[in-house]
Amino acid sequence: MHALEFEGVSKSFAENNVIRNISFSVEPGEIFGLLGPNGAGKTTLIRLLLDILKPDSGEIRVFGGSLGPAAKDRIGYLPEERGLYRKTKLLDMLVYLAQLKNVPKKKAQTNAESLLKSLGLYEYRGKRVEELSKGMQQKIQFLSSIIHEPELIILDEPFSGLDPISTKTVKDKIIEYRKAGRTVIFSTHMMEQAQKLCDRILMLNKGQRVLYGTVAGIRKEHGQNSLLVEFAEKRSLSIIQEISGIRKITEHEGSFEIFPEEGISAQAVLQELVQRAEILRFEQALPSLNEIFIETVESASGE
Amino acid sequence: MSKFSGKTFIVARYEFLKTIRRKEFLFMTFAFPLLLTGIAFIPPLLAGTTPAEDQRVGYIDMTGSFYFPESSISEGFSLGPLGAKSSTIEFVKYDESSKARKALHSEQISSYLIVPADFLETGVIELYASEKGMSVTGSELSAELSNIAINSLLKDRVDETVLKRIKNPINLKLYNVGDNGEPSEQGIAEVLTNFGLPLLMAFLLFFSIFSSSGYLLRGVSEEKENRIMEVLLSSVTPSELLTGKVVGLGAVGLLQIVVWISAIVLGGGYALPVKIDPMLLFIALIYFLLGFLFFASMMAGIGAVTGSLQESQQVAGIFTFAAAFPLVFMQFILTKPDSPLAVFLSLFPFTSPVTMLARIGASEVPFYQIAASFFILFVSIHAVIVISSRLFRVYLLMYGKRPGVKEILKNIREGGR
Repeated sequence: MHALEFEGVSKSFAENNVIRNISFSVEPGEIFGLLGPNGAGKTTLIRLLLDILKPDSGEIRVFGGSLGPAAKDRIGYLPEERGLYRKTKLLDMLVYLAQLKNVPKKKAQTNAESLLKSLGLYEYRGKRVEELSKGMQQKIQFLSSIIHEPELIILDEPFSGLDPISTKTVKDKIIEYRKAGRTVIFSTHMMEQAQKLCDRILMLNKGQRVLYGTVAGIRKEHGQNSLLVEFAEKRSLSIIQEISGIRKITEHEGSFEIFPEEGISAQAVLQELVQRAEILRFEQALPSLNEIFIETVESASGE
Repeated sequence: MSKFSGKTFIVARYEFLKTIRRKEFLFMTFAFPLLLTGIAFIPPLLAGTTPAEDQRVGYIDMTGSFYFPESSISEGFSLGPLGAKSSTIEFVKYDESSKARKALHSEQISSYLIVPADFLETGVIELYASEKGMSVTGSELSAELSNIAINSLLKDRVDETVLKRIKNPINLKLYNVGDNGEPSEQGIAEVLTNFGLPLLMAFLLFFSIFSSSGYLLRGVSEEKENRIMEVLLSSVTPSELLTGKVVGLGAVGLLQIVVWISAIVLGGGYALPVKIDPMLLFIALIYFLLGFLFFASMMAGIGAVTGSLQESQQVAGIFTFAAAFPLVFMQFILTKPDSPLAVFLSLFPFTSPVTMLARIGASEVPFYQIAASFFILFVSIHAVIVISSRLFRVYLLMYGKRPGVKEILKNIREGGR
């Protein structure tokens, strides 16, 4: 059973196609990244999956069925536009939000208290939200999305505007959740975070699916079969140039990226290299998600 | 409206508890009873500064035919429970005015009367008091003295009933001859009951409907403005949220109106010579509930469509004005409760709660008209709730430019899918 499944989903607002024929699925226990430039339709896609918006066509299944009230209680959501009741006391608000997820009051109280303790915010429980600093408010907001111990957590731009400490808190929690076998979907345009955290990604551009798959697979797919090599001695560069079958060599920060000619495997080039020079380190060079992202978006707008 | 789910109840309870802790609510709810208490207690307290204590009044009877009682009790006239303080006047007989004057100087008596020998011809009785001020007012004493004079002149010559009638010769009562030919009695208490109470009830109904539906409008706009709406909508459906808010704030309004009515019933007995028909109270409660549902659902729709609190209050103001219409025409409604305009206003859903309540107070409203106004209001409520929950769904998460009327109408039609 998929944790989430989209099948040919489209949604338009007043002539604007925001989501066009999107299909993908999210497996239980994985961290799934929803990537794309601003305005690509990430937030709309999330609202569709939460049943806040209705799709024009296509089907959305959460936990194997359409999203009913019981399924809603198993989802935690952190929207991109952050908002809290400003004048309500912290603990009261968290308990209320948990109760709306059908958590009994007593349990909601215990959960809220233990989460506040784990984030070092317990002493502020009686304060109003408006009295807290911005960083604390962000942590509280994140906390409110996990207070009912959801199986599926949806985080829309969780790192935007976070200070490094809050970023680390959120990141640790995300990893902790995967370890506990829960599913996390987060949208971001911070590719570094996505590359580090995500198992699989879906990239949207102008409402269309442009990339979809495992992070490793996508990087390999977009790799140009090149090798990243670091030599013990700098002068080894002249030795490499003697090797046949190399199309191009580029240098970055003390290491060399070697692009074999068409039809020649990187493995064969490596064998040649090992025979001629002392190698400190080598790896198959893969483009970062960031590079793929920029390349994909730019080539789309170039069309 | 969807079925009343557990989440609806949670929303309702949260909204209820949050609102009754608001300073505005506490002020509105308790300011009115305090005002009523003020009316009941302050005048007697002010009146209490002029002493109404027991007095000794001397008299010299030159006719020799007056029967002064040893003492008489005068009922002071005043509003409220504390005002009904009575004072005793003790009468002391003197033979000549010099002795009485001496007693006055030595403050044994506060004043003295002389009944001249030619009283029967002139009717003059002289009252002498010291310059320091008169404790017994002349008018108070005059009423007392005329009773004494009548007693003295007529006692044993006429029947007790005739004597009583002479003391209090006429008791004028006013009757209104209605369309059905049945005359109805109209005294001062009835005038208050007929006009004062319906007016008061209509005003209170108007205020409680608009203060509680105002909270709803404010709540929705605020949640939309501070973006918590999206979090709420990921947990509850728009109609659960709408129903919960309406129920919670309806309970707030009901609490308020119950406090007010209790204040009228408890305090009214003291402050106003008014009798309240329990049936009228019951009908008032039903009209509150229906009127509240009607306006609250409308306010929720307005809150959903508009982008900010300020904007939403401007739009809501148009509807509030329509609802305040009967208050402007209240005098007309109360004096001509069966005119076509009054009947129309008591059926039209925007104005019916306030108008019908005023009409019921002012005259006998046929039952079918009350039933018809309930029915029309009920159907309107249903329509407004359907429209509002569609708007709720479409516009709650839309920000920026306010949609045009045309687009809103389109979304109302399409919302049914």
